Amino acid sequence: MAPIGQLTRPTERLDVLARARQRAALLPDCLAEARRVANTVIAGWHGRRKRGIGETFWQFRPYVDGESLSRIDWRRSARDDNLYVRDREWEAAHTIWLWADQSPSMLYKSDVAIVSKESRALVLMLALAEILSRSGERIGCPGVMEPVASRNAAERLALALAHAPIQTTLPDLGRIGRMSDVVLIGDFLDADETLESCIGPAARRGVRGHVIEVADPAEETFPYSGRTEFRDPETGQKLVAGRAETIAADYRKEWIARRESLAQGVRKMGWSFLAHRTDRLASEALAAAHGHLSGIPAAKKAAFS
Amino acid sequence: MMAGLPFAFGAPAILFGLLALPVIWWLLRLTPPRPQAEPFAPLAILARVLKPEETPSRSPWWLTALRLLIAALVILALAEPVLNPRDRGLSSDGPLALVIDNGWASAPDWDARVEAAGMLINEAEDLDIPVAIVFTANRRHDATPATFEQARDQLRAARPQPLRPERNAAVTALVAALGQTRPGTIAYVTDGIETADAADALNRLSALEASAIRIIGATEAKALALTGADNGAEALDITASRLDTAPAESFGLTASDSKGREIAAGEIRFEAGAAEATGTISAPFEIRNDIARLDVTGIDTAGSVRLLDDSFRRRRVALISGEAADIAQPLLSPLYYINRALSPYADLIEADSDEMSASIPKLLAQSPAVIVMSDIGTLPDDVSTSLSEWVDRGGTLIRFAGPRLAAAPADSRLLPVLLRKGERELGGALSWIEPQPLADYPATGPFAGLPTPRDITVRRQVLAEPTSDLAARTWASLADGTPLVTATDRGAGRIVLFHVTAEASWSNLPISGHFVDMLRRVVQLSRAVAGGGEAGSGILPPWRLLDANAALLPASGDARPLDLTGGKVPAAGPDNPPGLYGGEDGFVALNLFNSGETLAPIAIPEFEVPVTRSAIASDSAVDFRPWLFAAALIALLADTLIVLVLNGAFRRRGLRPSSATAMVLIAGLSLSVFAAPGTGHAQDAQPGDADLLESLDRTRLAYVITGDEETDNISRLGLDSLSRYLFSRTALEPGTAVGVDIETDQLALYPLIYWPMSEDADMPSPGAISRIDAYMKSGGTVLFDTRDRIVDLGGGSSILTLRLQQILASLDIPPLEPVPADHVLTKSFFLLDTFPGRYSDGPLWVEAIPETDNPAERPARTGDGVSSILITGNDMAAAWAVDEQGFPMFATVPPDPWQREYAFRAGVNIVMYMLTGNYKADQVHIPALLERLGQ
Repeated sequence: MAPIGQLTRPTERLDVLARARQRAALLPDCLAEARRVANTVIAGWHGRRKRGIGETFWQFRPYVDGESLSRIDWRRSARDDNLYVRDREWEAAHTIWLWADQSPSMLYKSDVAIVSKESRALVLMLALAEILSRSGERIGCPGVMEPVASRNAAERLALALAHAPIQTTLPDLGRIGRMSDVVLIGDFLDADETLESCIGPAARRGVRGHVIEVADPAEETFPYSGRTEFRDPETGQKLVAGRAETIAADYRKEWIARRESLAQGVRKMGWSFLAHRTDRLASEALAAAHGHLSGIPAAKKAAFS
Repeated sequence: MMAGLPFAFGAPAILFGLLALPVIWWLLRLTPPRPQAEPFAPLAILARVLKPEETPSRSPWWLTALRLLIAALVILALAEPVLNPRDRGLSSDGPLALVIDNGWASAPDWDARVEAAGMLINEAEDLDIPVAIVFTANRRHDATPATFEQARDQLRAARPQPLRPERNAAVTALVAALGQTRPGTIAYVTDGIETADAADALNRLSALEASAIRIIGATEAKALALTGADNGAEALDITASRLDTAPAESFGLTASDSKGREIAAGEIRFEAGAAEATGTISAPFEIRNDIARLDVTGIDTAGSVRLLDDSFRRRRVALISGEAADIAQPLLSPLYYINRALSPYADLIEADSDEMSASIPKLLAQSPAVIVMSDIGTLPDDVSTSLSEWVDRGGTLIRFAGPRLAAAPADSRLLPVLLRKGERELGGALSWIEPQPLADYPATGPFAGLPTPRDITVRRQVLAEPTSDLAARTWASLADGTPLVTATDRGAGRIVLFHVTAEASWSNLPISGHFVDMLRRVVQLSRAVAGGGEAGSGILPPWRLLDANAALLPASGDARPLDLTGGKVPAAGPDNPPGLYGGEDGFVALNLFNSGETLAPIAIPEFEVPVTRSAIASDSAVDFRPWLFAAALIALLADTLIVLVLNGAFRRRGLRPSSATAMVLIAGLSLSVFAAPGTGHAQDAQPGDADLLESLDRTRLAYVITGDEETDNISRLGLDSLSRYLFSRTALEPGTAVGVDIETDQLALYPLIYWPMSEDADMPSPGAISRIDAYMKSGGTVLFDTRDRIVDLGGGSSILTLRLQQILASLDIPPLEPVPADHVLTKSFFLLDTFPGRYSDGPLWVEAIPETDNPAERPARTGDGVSSILITGNDMAAAWAVDEQGFPMFATVPPDPWQREYAFRAGVNIVMYMLTGNYKADQVHIPALLERLGQ
């Protein structure tokens, strides 16, 4: 009688990168919504669909007195009697911090799940990195990689992860600037206060964030029965249930209640919360996260229920 | 060897391992089953849900018990338990004395007994000691201690006998043969049944001072004997006795006739603890009289069979009284006492009329064994002649005296002695003599052995003329020597006269119990059937004898003739083994057991030397070890399964126990289906089923094929035409008309059969008439049409009406009436007041309906169901019949075109009446019902 769940080996980062690319290919380019970063002036590759500092032509407009003469586009102005100024599209890059939990509890995979939670979390993180970097965003990972604005940010992130020590605790968000986005991916099975104490100060500083909770279906539906000994992979603590099936209903209720309170706490701080199960496709979570990062209300409504 | 049980352990020391069981119990209770280990990250959530008391840290008690059982089984198996262990160790002090019971009860397991004795002889051979062997049921004993070869020959030669063992004689022979030699071991292979001399014989065995005594077979001995069979009034009552009284047990009983055919069966049931039981075989009197032998199914011993002879048979006794039976005062009727006395033992028939010349031949025709005549003086000459012929053929005539007999002229033909005219009164007003009691019965008469009744007094009697042979003819006499019962043999029969009345006016004999005994003796003496063969008396040669296995074999050997001259049957013994004595014409059955005897276990006295007891089959040592190991293995498998189930092995795979059970069931069912293919389909198709099926899906009108071609053609065309009319006017869409042959065809398919009378047709056979009768009784209706304008059913004179009367004569016809105006036939479809055919004036007869109380309130009447018969003379088919062109074939009489229409309407009403029954009558209530419903 094989156990339902097992602990998998930590996933190879480059292997995950390939899978993440696959996932990312399913989604269009992601444009991080940056309403609240109007003042971020670091030039990036991505147009903001409004005039500003950038390299790409945006519009010609009549010259207004007081403007610097150097901005007059003489070639256009020579065609008629008016003076024109060439406006460029405002191009702004946005820093998005991605973080995936790699604690031992993430290595869990039940036989109904497709992959382990850790694998899924890495895939999601790298896929997000791929998409966002394609859009020109700056991708960083707290404690692993400083933000980079590069087309191959996902690759670089994977490489950095491969060399960095395993991330087992929630990251320190103190260094993160207030106009950045943070995406935290993990199972968040630590005590409730842990997550709050981690993201609370950052949220109060104005950092926007998204929490993607990755759960194994076995953890949610509790398909165990009979006499079962449960062991915590992180602490090694053990619990024996005489007849596991009798407590399944109670457990499910408790699980949902906990997730609800977690989501409440996260949303209260203005962050978004997204639950994802490893028996679903990664693209689903990716699409939802993508929609959320892009600030699409419909997607938000559908995904964050 | 365990005390009292044939059970031993090869390694009893291992049994101390059982002491470890409590420790194992404690350990098992402490150790829970190993849980399934699962990594589980959200342990904190689980910990909130999981209540500590819900985790049993101990196994369920029954699982522990099962494991303890496994441990105990293994320990027991290791201790090498053996059932019926062989017990060695003959004493070599002296010769081995073998006493073997070879009586009737040893027959079923004789081979095992021989084997047991043979093993003892083998042991004696090993020890090289001589063997003395005696068989208790043998007549001659050769107990000289001999070599084991001779002993073995003796053993092989011995056969079980259909007798009771004579243990004392055998022991005597053994003691004489041993002389002064002190035997080493006395081994007694017994059948376990107590006999009168058993205690004495065993005591004498004990006096031989053997070194050891071994008693084989006293334990677990089983035997069953039929001890009696009584032909009761309603059934054959059989009593049986058995040796072991412990469990409730049932045995089948088989009764066979003299040719060995089984003719009846019954059952005898022993209650738990009861040694005796009574069973019955219920069968008619005639069959019971044919029973010659009773067997217990499955047991073939001389004791478990009961042979029956003539005396067993129930007699048929005819009762004739001189006076008319007065039912109001039964106690004054002489036959009343005889009836009460004999009815438990005999079948009684009584004269059905007072006219002797008519009733007595009728009684004789029933061939009674005994005729009892109470106070009949004179008989018509022809009757007395036939009676005396009947007596000569073997009948027994019992007569009672009375005023008429006393007054009758002396007629010695039907009397055993010559009577003086008149009666003698004892103790009356003019008599000096006191009422007389009975003297002791003569020792040779049939009443010998009955206790002499002291309370019977005779006040009045008829007297016999003293003759020289009067004493010989007297069966019972009064204290003063005057005969009370006299008898004489007449030809093959016998005449018995009671010199008193059969009622209590002359003596109190009829109201005493002795009357019953005396009558019963006399009836038993009679032959079962007058005119039968020679009954047994005197000295009878052995004819068929039972062997030990209950087979009846021609007599041989040293059986001696059965001496019945003493008046009673001697007990079965070596001289007279059980069997039939006499000859083919008549015989007496001698059984091993007489009624009242019982079987009792042999009482074995205390011996001074050690006594070893064992069951017979000593070589049936059974080693329990493999069985115990197998049981432990099975229990282990069960334990594994239970643990799997407890740990949720089946639930986890989404296969709940119920569905698993269902799957097993389904698999088993499909297996069984495959194992027995095709058994579910009975071959019940019969020829003609296709035709029946064809007729079933459409209602068809039918006519009887009379054989007259023209009539049949008109019937067919007429019914076809009516069918078309029905088709166009009503919801009924009948098929084409069908001609039925009432001799052979299945009639049940048709609701209505039209039967025109025809002059040229043959009269239907009685079989066909009875088929029609059955058809009408089962709900069908026949429309008879005489086609001759009959007006009156009874008085018709035409050939066709006569034909109808002939047919109806053999049918069971209810009372008929012309259709009354309020009959449902007049309203079932069209409203009609006449039912014309080709002729308009004949009525239609239907089953008469009982008048209702208030005809005015019911516009339509009907009985329950539908009239099974309709009779008309209007030739309806001719009115309906049209030819191929659609023109009517016959003109109506009178030629009124509306009459044909009315004929069709009459046909429609008849068919509708047939199909709807009294439903149409109920339809007339619709307005009232609707009104009541408030519509």
